[in-house]
Amino acid sequence: MKAILKFIDIVDGINLRIGKVAMFGLFALMAVLLWSSVSKTFFTPSLWTLETAQFIMVGYYMLGGPYSILMGSNVRMDLFYGNWSLRRKATIDSLTVLFLIFYLGVMFYGALGSTAYSLGYWGTAPFEFFAGLITGAEEIGRMERSSTAWRPYIWPVKAVMTLGLFLMLLQALSELCKDIARLQGHDIPEVKE
Amino acid sequence: MSQEHIALFMFASMMLMLFSGQRVFGAIGAIAAIAAIALWGTGGQDIPFSAAMKLMKWYPLLTLPMFIFMGYVLSESRLADDLYRMFHVWFGNVSGGLAMGTIGLMVLISAMNGLSVAGMAIGATIALPELLRRGYDKTMVTGVVQAGSSLGILVPPSVVLVLYAMIARQPVGQLWLAGVVPGLMMAAMFVIYIWIRCRINPALGPIADDLADVTREEKIRLLGAGALPLIIFASMMVPFVNGWTSLVESSAIGALAALAASILKRRMTWEVFYRCTKQTLGISCMFMWIILAALGFGAVFDGLGAVKAIEGLFTEQLGLSPWMILILMQLSFILMGTFLDDTAMLVIVAPLYVPLVGALGFDLIWYGVLYTITTQIAYMTPPFGYNLFLMKAMAPPEIGLRDIYRSILPFVLVMVLALIVIMAFPDIALWLPHLVYGT
Repeated sequence: MKAILKFIDIVDGINLRIGKVAMFGLFALMAVLLWSSVSKTFFTPSLWTLETAQFIMVGYYMLGGPYSILMGSNVRMDLFYGNWSLRRKATIDSLTVLFLIFYLGVMFYGALGSTAYSLGYWGTAPFEFFAGLITGAEEIGRMERSSTAWRPYIWPVKAVMTLGLFLMLLQALSELCKDIARLQGHDIPEVKE
Repeated sequence: MSQEHIALFMFASMMLMLFSGQRVFGAIGAIAAIAAIALWGTGGQDIPFSAAMKLMKWYPLLTLPMFIFMGYVLSESRLADDLYRMFHVWFGNVSGGLAMGTIGLMVLISAMNGLSVAGMAIGATIALPELLRRGYDKTMVTGVVQAGSSLGILVPPSVVLVLYAMIARQPVGQLWLAGVVPGLMMAAMFVIYIWIRCRINPALGPIADDLADVTREEKIRLLGAGALPLIIFASMMVPFVNGWTSLVESSAIGALAALAASILKRRMTWEVFYRCTKQTLGISCMFMWIILAALGFGAVFDGLGAVKAIEGLFTEQLGLSPWMILILMQLSFILMGTFLDDTAMLVIVAPLYVPLVGALGFDLIWYGVLYTITTQIAYMTPPFGYNLFLMKAMAPPEIGLRDIYRSILPFVLVMVLALIVIMAFPDIALWLPHLVYGT
């Protein structure tokens, strides 16, 4: 039990801090878009603004996602849920959160595969590829670029998505641990900000 | 199993998951992931993630956090106080005038943000206590605030229309313009309704008696407050309509204009700023993750050819005319809205209905307006409307859930009437986009 509580503490702590940085990504987004309008009106239009904005946006909601779970922003359908006791909520949640974990797991696996692809690996075993990169058995191949005039490399944004999904997965596991702890009689707040 | 059966099974299991109270995006996403893997095996596991790449490339979505931020700046910094005061002194000396003025206030707020939440917050915290203090009928004014705030998603900028545009693959600019006239028409219908009610029973909306000592200069000065939303709206829409900036860039200008206005008015403190930023993250993430999950779900649905199957069922096996199907769809939409979570409905119903509407030969811009009004009605209909609970949370304590339920009925009827009028005369919606963009 102690280990579980420790795990909740660590994961929530990390995601809280990342979320509080990610939320200011909004102003980075705003700045890029403003520069885009200024450059378009007064100078030559920039090639890089729109895609940069899209990359920031992805980072914004992928890295901010776990914090939104912590804040309790993700809506639930509370037709029945809203009337249940805390214990009942914890019981049902501890089962249904497994579906969430499965979904995020599939997303994470897809993201890993896609990141490996963007680094020039076209096989079907992304885990081995990344392990191979570390040991030196695999090499980075032809790197994927975006098909626009600016042609940025795609792997950084995919890496951010992979990280975001990993953090989401950790957060979902932390939510599962919270439900287990609640069923054991621990008092854990529903919202952390 | 045939494809229709798989589609039906997916839909049923998603409903079951939603009823379990798990986070909506998890419920939708999990069913999509399980179905994709069960149907296509290896390769199927990439479907949920490829939705994320699709989402990234769909650039109007960049407007979402901007408009949400704008809404929070407006409501949290109490920028609308002066605006309310303007309507107060100009409309107060008519029976029911303050209620009509509140509708006007809501129209202006709608022009500055894309969701109904900000209008609701401003209406419930600024207008409502004032109206109650002046002896306005509790039931009527509660309905006024709710109906008025629902205009937020019809008058541009509108987040709901941005989401619709993504699903229907229609240009956002045209959709927004299509929402203008119906939005104003609906506001006018609300005002007429209030006017008639107060005409019959003046006790519902007493004349404000403390306005005699408001000088002409004061009145003119307050008109300046009305200029503020127009400036913010213009700073956003003028560059966009003239083609100087794209939609996305305009939304950033709008967000900055709202922020600048609140700083100039000395209403922006660090706490307010921090709260706005944090809440914007929460709401944006909520939308993004639901859209992400729904895109995955939609991809599986598309792969099944489920839409063709449903269309065939309606037109061939049941022999319904396109109009019958359209009306049935709107009815089922409102019905679903009474027990389904509205955000979920937004992203589940649209991918299902929109291709069907297109296949039946209707104009998708026009349907976007119908869709938005129906969503608004669903937002407000008891027992489960997002707006109803939000209203309860924000309104003064003397307003109970029962008052809120009762207050909503006449306004829902007005909105249904507006819906029918727009269905019968599509030009109400299509006139302005055709005028600006040509046919």
